[in-house]
Amino acid sequence: MSAIPGNKGGAAAPHVELRRVTKRYGVVTAINDLTLTVEKGSFTALLGPSGCGKSTLLRMIAGLERISAGQCFLDGVDVTDVAPAKRRIAMVFQSYALYPHMTTRQNIAFSLSLAGASRKEQDERTHEVARILQLEDYLDRRPAELSGGQRQRVAIGRALVRHPEVFLFDEPLSNLDAKLRVQMRLELAKLHATLHATMIYVTHDQTEAMTLADKIVVLDRGRVAQVGSPLELYNRPANKFVAAFIGSPSMNFLPVGLTAVEGGIATVALPGGRTARVRVGGAPAKAVATAELGVRPEHLSLVVADDANAALRGEVAIVEHLGNLTLLYVDTPAGQVIVEGPGNVSVRSGDTVGLSLREANARLFGADGASL
Amino acid sequence: MTDTALVSDAPPPAARPLVRLRQLDLFGAVVTLATLAGAVVWAFPLYWGLVTTFKPETEIVQPGVHLWPQNFTFENYAHVLMQTKIGLWYVNSLVTSGAVTVIVVVMAAAAGYAISQLEFPGRRVFWAMILASFMVPIPALIVNHFVLMSQFGWINTLQGVVAPQLIAPVTVIIYKQFFDSVPKDFREAAVMDGANDFQLLFRIYLPMNWGITTALAIITFIGAWNLFLWPFLAVSSEEKLNVAVGITQVHDAFGVQYGRDLAVAMLAALPVAIVYLIFQRRVTQAIMLSAGIKG
Amino acid sequence: MLKSKRAEYFAAAVLMAPFVVIYGVLFVYPTIKMVELSFTNAPLIGPGKWVGLDNYWRLATERLFPTAVWNTIYFVLLSALPSTLLALVVALGVNRLKGWAQSVALAAFFLPYILPVSVVYRIWDWMFDANFGIAQYAIAPLDGGQHLSVFRTIPLFMPMVAVVTIWWLLGFNVLLFVSGLRNISTEIYEAAELDGASRWAQFKRITWPLIWPVTVLVLTIQLILQFKIFDQVYLFTQGGYRVDSTMVMVQYIYREAFQLNKGGLAASASVVLFVLIAVMSVLQFQLLRARAQR
Ligand SMILES: Nc1ncnc2c1ncn2[C@@H]1O[C@H](COP(=O)(O)OP(=O)(O)OP(=O)(O)O)[C@@H](O)[C@H]1O
Ligand SMILES: [Mg+2]
Repeated sequence: MSAIPGNKGGAAAPHVELRRVTKRYGVVTAINDLTLTVEKGSFTALLGPSGCGKSTLLRMIAGLERISAGQCFLDGVDVTDVAPAKRRIAMVFQSYALYPHMTTRQNIAFSLSLAGASRKEQDERTHEVARILQLEDYLDRRPAELSGGQRQRVAIGRALVRHPEVFLFDEPLSNLDAKLRVQMRLELAKLHATLHATMIYVTHDQTEAMTLADKIVVLDRGRVAQVGSPLELYNRPANKFVAAFIGSPSMNFLPVGLTAVEGGIATVALPGGRTARVRVGGAPAKAVATAELGVRPEHLSLVVADDANAALRGEVAIVEHLGNLTLLYVDTPAGQVIVEGPGNVSVRSGDTVGLSLREANARLFGADGASL
Repeated sequence: MTDTALVSDAPPPAARPLVRLRQLDLFGAVVTLATLAGAVVWAFPLYWGLVTTFKPETEIVQPGVHLWPQNFTFENYAHVLMQTKIGLWYVNSLVTSGAVTVIVVVMAAAAGYAISQLEFPGRRVFWAMILASFMVPIPALIVNHFVLMSQFGWINTLQGVVAPQLIAPVTVIIYKQFFDSVPKDFREAAVMDGANDFQLLFRIYLPMNWGITTALAIITFIGAWNLFLWPFLAVSSEEKLNVAVGITQVHDAFGVQYGRDLAVAMLAALPVAIVYLIFQRRVTQAIMLSAGIKG
Repeated sequence: MLKSKRAEYFAAAVLMAPFVVIYGVLFVYPTIKMVELSFTNAPLIGPGKWVGLDNYWRLATERLFPTAVWNTIYFVLLSALPSTLLALVVALGVNRLKGWAQSVALAAFFLPYILPVSVVYRIWDWMFDANFGIAQYAIAPLDGGQHLSVFRTIPLFMPMVAVVTIWWLLGFNVLLFVSGLRNISTEIYEAAELDGASRWAQFKRITWPLIWPVTVLVLTIQLILQFKIFDQVYLFTQGGYRVDSTMVMVQYIYREAFQLNKGGLAASASVVLFVLIAVMSVLQFQLLRARAQR
């Protein structure tokens, strides 16, 4: 998994590095021979469906979970067997885990007080953090007397006060309501911009990942499915899993026959008789006769049924008007496909329509799911 | 009645519920009165003992029932405070009960934490041992406790009174259960913050379960204060007695003096009664816990 | 969690040390010594000769120990079951009360429980005093106008000690029952009311099945507790006449060990008590576990 330069540019030294790590719980393999590098100062999101091993991976970086095989490096130093507190890593838990018997001030200063910092230093650093997070008015309240968003900020403050080099977040926003989540998302982005610290962020919400991260790691059953910037993942998914997981509504997959490959362009036969020409990476083996064509809903457009450009033809099953756009579910010989049309589409269900395909944006996947 | 159950939001027919309500009131009133009467009966011996202490001895032995002293006096209290060693017994009780409470709570919290949170060889054995000692009747051990204490030279000393009271498996069990139920995120957060196991115990686990500690400390203290059999066996000199045993010794000193006997008893009960009245909720909670009901 | 085994063992060792020392010295060791002593003819303090099962044989054949066992069982029957049932009745009544009335009633029933046994003894000794006790106003008419020293009347002794004990400890049981009753949601009763269930039917079909586990718990706690009876019996027989006929097991141990200096015999009686209570505790533990699993 070679490093893909972060969007921020600049020297991107590997900060956190996992080499061929595996985590087993008895017979369950949560993480399977996974290699990953995270650059200094980057905001990396770990994305994937529930149970794919995101939390496990994060907790291994934190040192909360023993690594069954493989190594973990921080700044080039092997920390595989180093205790969590000695890693200069801070973690924000999904449940916040604020100590209920301590005030905001005590919660934030707890790690300093454990480290034996002087009262003065504790005070100064607590105030500095409270100022950044706008918690100054709540310093003497206990967690039970704070709102969800304030608790979230205290949890971040507790991480911040230690001046860690790496921040780990495990679904930090999932306990907040939708509006607060958007607000906190912006605050996190701001925080990252000011601190320039390395942040690793677990989520199963792709909007969060796409908006916050400059690099996304998609996990599938304990393995890395793809690493890349948000747009890379969206436009050039490495496999069917990533293609299906990223984007909403999900990508359409059409069974196609492969007729010819020439100069990086494959000609495929679509169900219903038309053909399409799709760019492919290498030269796929001639043996690959069938494949799946992945087309995002916004890369299909409605045309009249007998239009010469119509790659597919079908009957509209459901129309969903969302105001700014319209989603159409069209039954075609290739199965039901979802089409994203403009807001003012006047098609009704039962109408027969043609669908034209933006070939430049379509992707071809082999039988094993890998992008061709 | 059945039709109202089917159509729950329809207004019930007027006649029957009214009859039912009147029945309910009558029955309820009878039960309430009986309960309150029962409470009065239950409290009466305590009241009667207390009020007797404020009567002069001559009035006490007069025939007739007087619920309030005709000549209110503190003479009985004054006498026992001056003439008995109750002040010293108080100190002994305080010292021994306090020591038992502190040692039991610290030991139980530490052991409960280790068994709940740490992996170490022998953990299961210790846990089984604690559960087993739950079933051992301490009075069955009096003979060998006495032998052991005399080997230590601790007979007739305060530490000799304290030592055998330190076996408190229930306290360990309760702590373990409460520590088990602390979400592991707290532990992990504190570990990331750099806490070691001792800091985890004393700065996270114990303070988070402060209520339990108070409850257990109070009930341990009351139990130690009230203990009769062991201090009665272990102590032979009047100077080392605790209050609960001490008050049974004054009888011999005065001859029969009802007012004084009772006054000294009331003094013995006073501290625990005050503790109970202040910490009612905690005492209740501790009793539920020790009976195996988590509340 | 990633941490060094050594640090973890060290912490465990330090935290377990007080417990291990105390339990080893004050529990395990005396228990083993007790069994050992029970096979010797040793005095309370000092060495003795191995006599095999002689002590146990004496316990079985001499009159006093079987009497003590019987008196103990008699006392347990007189106190444990009545105090359980009475507590249930009281709890049902208290549970109907509201607000401060409930707190006051509960406190009235509970307050005796926190008193030292010697205070309880003083209060009741005064209540039933043969000369001036207030209870004599009720007793005299029943006894042909004569005052009666109830604690010196052997057939009355155990029942009277049981009455005093019930007065003393009832509050504990009431508390457990009240908390059990509070756990029954009022909605169940409302539903039953709507179904037209009579008051008795409600008790039989809802309250009793739901409170039954608490009843079993209270009863077993009481059984085990009352088996260890000593304090009250000792105090009420103070002055020492005809102690033998009202002797209980712990009192027997006390007498053999501390008054007659027969450590070996006392230890064997302790072993018998130990086994009896351990058996009952195992039963209680099983019940608790069965409850916890539901
Ligand atoms: N302590 C454990 N013991 C056994 N299996 C575990 C343990 N922790 C996690 N697993 C398993 O490891 C796999 C990965 O779990 P993990 O918690 O990392 O998932 P996740 O991606 O964080 O999911 P979610 O989004 O639901 O939080 C799951 O199959 C889970 O069942
Ligand atoms: Mg997770």
